[in-house]
Amino acid sequence: MSPVPIPRTKREATEARGPYGRVGQIIGELDDRLGVAKGGRTFLDKIFPDHWSFMLGEIALYSFVVLIATGIFLTLYYEPSQTQLIYHGAYVPLRGQRVTAAYASTVDLSFSVRAGLLMRQMHHWAADVFLGSIVIHMARIFFTGAFRKPRELNWTIGMTLLVLSLSNGFIGYSLPDDLISGTGLRILFSIVLSIPFVGTYIAFFLFGGNYPGTIIIDRLYIIHVLILPAIIAGLIGAHLFLLVRQKHTQFPGGGRTEDNVIGSPMYPTFMAKTTGYLFMVTAAITLLGGLAQINPIWQFGQYQADKISYAVQPDWYMGWLDGALRIMPSWEFTAFGHTIPFVVLLPSVVFPGLIFTLCYAWPAIERRFTGDNEIHHLLDRPRDRPKRTAAGAAMIALMFVLLGASATDVLANFFQVSLNEVLWTFRILVLVVPPLVGIFVWRICIEMQGGGADIGKRKRAVLMSRSATGEYTTVPTAPQPDDEHDELEPIPVPVHIDLEPSGNGSDDSGVRTVTR
Amino acid sequence: MTDGTDHQPMPIDVANFDDPHLQVAAVDPERAERAIAVYFFIGMVGMGVFGAAYWQNWKPWTLGLSLGVGLFFIGFGLSAWGKYLMPQGPFTEARHALHSSLAERDAIAAALTERTGVVVRRRSMLLGLLGAGLGIFGIAGLGFPLLRSLGPLPGKALTKTNWRKGSLLVDGNGRAIHRDEIDPGGLVTVFPAGYENNDATLAIDQTVLIRAQTGPLVTEPGRATWAPDGYVAYSKLCTHAGCPVGLYEKELRLLVCPCHQSMFNIDNGAVPQFGPAPRPLPQLPLYIDESGFLRSQSGFDQPVGPGYFER
Amino acid sequence: MSRLRRAFSSRLLLPGAVVVGVALGGIIAFGGSATGASGGGAPASYGDSAIFYQYPPTSYVPAGQALFATFCSSCHGSRAQGTYRAPNLVGVGAGTIDFWVTTGRMPAENPNAIQAPRKPARLNDQQALEVAAFVNSLDPSKPGIPNVNVKDANLADGADLYSLNCAACHTITGAGDELAFGTYAPSLRAATVTQIAEAIRTGPGNMPRFSGNLTNAQVRDVVAYVAETIQHPANPGGFALGGVGPVAEGFVALLFGVGLLALVGYWIGERS
Repeated sequence: MSPVPIPRTKREATEARGPYGRVGQIIGELDDRLGVAKGGRTFLDKIFPDHWSFMLGEIALYSFVVLIATGIFLTLYYEPSQTQLIYHGAYVPLRGQRVTAAYASTVDLSFSVRAGLLMRQMHHWAADVFLGSIVIHMARIFFTGAFRKPRELNWTIGMTLLVLSLSNGFIGYSLPDDLISGTGLRILFSIVLSIPFVGTYIAFFLFGGNYPGTIIIDRLYIIHVLILPAIIAGLIGAHLFLLVRQKHTQFPGGGRTEDNVIGSPMYPTFMAKTTGYLFMVTAAITLLGGLAQINPIWQFGQYQADKISYAVQPDWYMGWLDGALRIMPSWEFTAFGHTIPFVVLLPSVVFPGLIFTLCYAWPAIERRFTGDNEIHHLLDRPRDRPKRTAAGAAMIALMFVLLGASATDVLANFFQVSLNEVLWTFRILVLVVPPLVGIFVWRICIEMQGGGADIGKRKRAVLMSRSATGEYTTVPTAPQPDDEHDELEPIPVPVHIDLEPSGNGSDDSGVRTVTR
Repeated sequence: MTDGTDHQPMPIDVANFDDPHLQVAAVDPERAERAIAVYFFIGMVGMGVFGAAYWQNWKPWTLGLSLGVGLFFIGFGLSAWGKYLMPQGPFTEARHALHSSLAERDAIAAALTERTGVVVRRRSMLLGLLGAGLGIFGIAGLGFPLLRSLGPLPGKALTKTNWRKGSLLVDGNGRAIHRDEIDPGGLVTVFPAGYENNDATLAIDQTVLIRAQTGPLVTEPGRATWAPDGYVAYSKLCTHAGCPVGLYEKELRLLVCPCHQSMFNIDNGAVPQFGPAPRPLPQLPLYIDESGFLRSQSGFDQPVGPGYFER
Repeated sequence: MSRLRRAFSSRLLLPGAVVVGVALGGIIAFGGSATGASGGGAPASYGDSAIFYQYPPTSYVPAGQALFATFCSSCHGSRAQGTYRAPNLVGVGAGTIDFWVTTGRMPAENPNAIQAPRKPARLNDQQALEVAAFVNSLDPSKPGIPNVNVKDANLADGADLYSLNCAACHTITGAGDELAFGTYAPSLRAATVTQIAEAIRTGPGNMPRFSGNLTNAQVRDVVAYVAETIQHPANPGGFALGGVGPVAEGFVALLFGVGLLALVGYWIGERS
């Protein structure tokens, strides 16, 4: 475009802006420099399918935002060092004790920094919610088959996000160097030791020497605040980019096909709903952070390698590994001057390796077993894929049994039964429950498939009355407002809205195409 | 901008204001608007209370409750606005096929294969040398600094503790243990004298001393002198995953590891009786010196702690 | 006036009489034999006097014998010598008896249970002292009943000792937990100062007996830490969720965090 002369009077300026006022002027300036007008409108018109299960990934995204925000606050106060000092802070039972700078700075953050405890607790609750929502989002993707072509790469990115977030969570709660998380680091050292051939080397490299060393907290810190969050943020960006580029999947029905997307436009509807959801996710984490105490490290004391507490479990998302460690039989293989401790290697290294490999490979496995190499933008109902749904349910059941197995002592204490019996119970449950759940779910899917189109839906209520002679009559009640939608035909997002109501009062789509 | 140049006419959808798709979803928009206004107001009040709570340094739960309530109602109002007071649609857009035309695909495949062929024809040795060079860079240039510089080689560090012949048993405060001090059923965490404050070796030297009874205790054949006057000492480092085995049940005569509930019988050399531990806790042979203080006859007869490949 | 007369009519007469009277009274009230060794071996030394051990007066013995005959002898035998149902109590020390009776564990409701639970005490504190006096009279032994002076306790040392010696069974927050084969370490929330000291020094049931390796000052520090910090924990962060750590926290995060947010998402979104 040829350059427009810069206006000199107010009237000239108003005229120069054009029919859309300042907004149009700003867009013009941006477009001149960045070329954003066309792509921007496509972005604003972007359609998001509305199903509620599509919002689960947003919980993960927004709890990540909370993690970053609260995490930045924490980095301004936390000191990542194992240097010893004498505590002289606000918490009386620690005064005079020898503690590390990492522990002391975390206690000070909890007691002496305004809103420090709230931020610490919000950060920890957000991590638990982040991982919980990743798992439930991953389950939704799995059960609806959203990982199929063309979205296998996004599934891989998502799995990597899960593994990295698990690691970052474990590292994060080990940073305060308290008695309970320090025990977890000792177990980590032993797990690395158990790897054949290279275990002792990797363990010594990681810890800078034999356990405990003096540098592990420093190293874990930089991994936790820089290396892993940077990778996670980048992968989230790639995850969202693929979602935008390939467009979201949707359930069949209601006019939805493989060639369209039906839902709400980005601006203003989706932006309003999702920003509201951001606030509500943050609100939930804030309420938890203020009202429910989590990880009260001042009660645990400084970690010391000869001290231990009972009722020590890792955070819930590591519980499956701890449970596997507890129920594993004590197999250790010694021959030719070497030892392979299968009792630690199998549940902590081989088992999660197998599980993650299975999850990463699942799109390929399914492609192989179903012979389906088509592009899918429409989702499956879980009942329509009984085998996949049963396999997923069995996996979830396995995880829950192992999670329960990590709490053997707490459960034995709560229900007042023998600890030894509880452990044996879980050894049996872990073998028996997943296949049973799988078969059970498979049968439910088959049943639901044969149940007709309205199975699982709310039915219209029915009034039964009995005549004087004992006959029953049923009369359907009047429809609720939600029961019958006047299903409108979907239309493209209109570019212009004529703010003068049209004279002919059309009740169907009043969209006309004009040329400007 | 109305300069009139290079502005191509294009078909644009125009909707009427009273188009049913543009009507709001709420059955009673007035009521919805009032409700959302209330939510926003509560949100404002919540935020205001948070501001006051922060300024006045109130307790953490007031900060969390006020901020949480404020955020929640603002979010709830905004989402409700998006759900009930915005055009109900439904709107649609076309999914254009992601893939390019076959011709485009062929063109890029050709670019990769044919151009490479032009460069590499009869020069495959160069390619091999380049590959080898990059490979060595990957291993020596990236791998070595990232791994080897991080820490020392394990060497003998896992096999040796600081317990020697004649090491005096001391508790965490450096106090020696006299034979008359501990009643039967007592338990102390002990270290070799001089090493009780050494954080670097605290983990590997830690030993649990139990006065199981009066009179000697023979845990295994060949260990007749190891537990004089009922004082028996085992490594405190669990042979499963390295947690300190600090839990002693004196009537059951069991050491229980709190981490994964391995149970060790102190009468037979701490052989695991239950749970995942694969090996007994190494026993430290003790003797009582002329002054009546407990000392070790030697170090442990095997590496302490969990298993590893070189064990 | 003779010198003697002057002495008895001096101003010091009344205060002097008070002093002598108190001393005599003290000897009568608290005098009890404290000789005798703890079970086997030379007497363990407890060090300084942060804790003062005392014995119930011998005048309590007859009442104690009667109570013992009613509540204890059916299991422990008429001379506390033990039967197949219950152990020998001769020589366990007054502090041991006082602990078991004041915590309500004894008299046991179910003698076959692997571990007698704490319950509302059937005998009051005075009766417990009487029973202790009787049992102690059979073979006077240590420890006596500890009188702990928590005023000068060092909470930091107490925390340090607690985390080394007690947390492995009772958990770092004192919540208690299940041990092997049906035994358990009880919660510390209800114990009195005296009971805590008695438990440490006597080692009830499967609990180790901490004698010479802990001085009286150290035991006092641990007792003060348990009574002040464990039983009145600083929970500035909100609901403590039972003090069992990540098990409860994970439950809350999944149910109230993710669950409620999923419900909110269900409200925002559509159902197909």
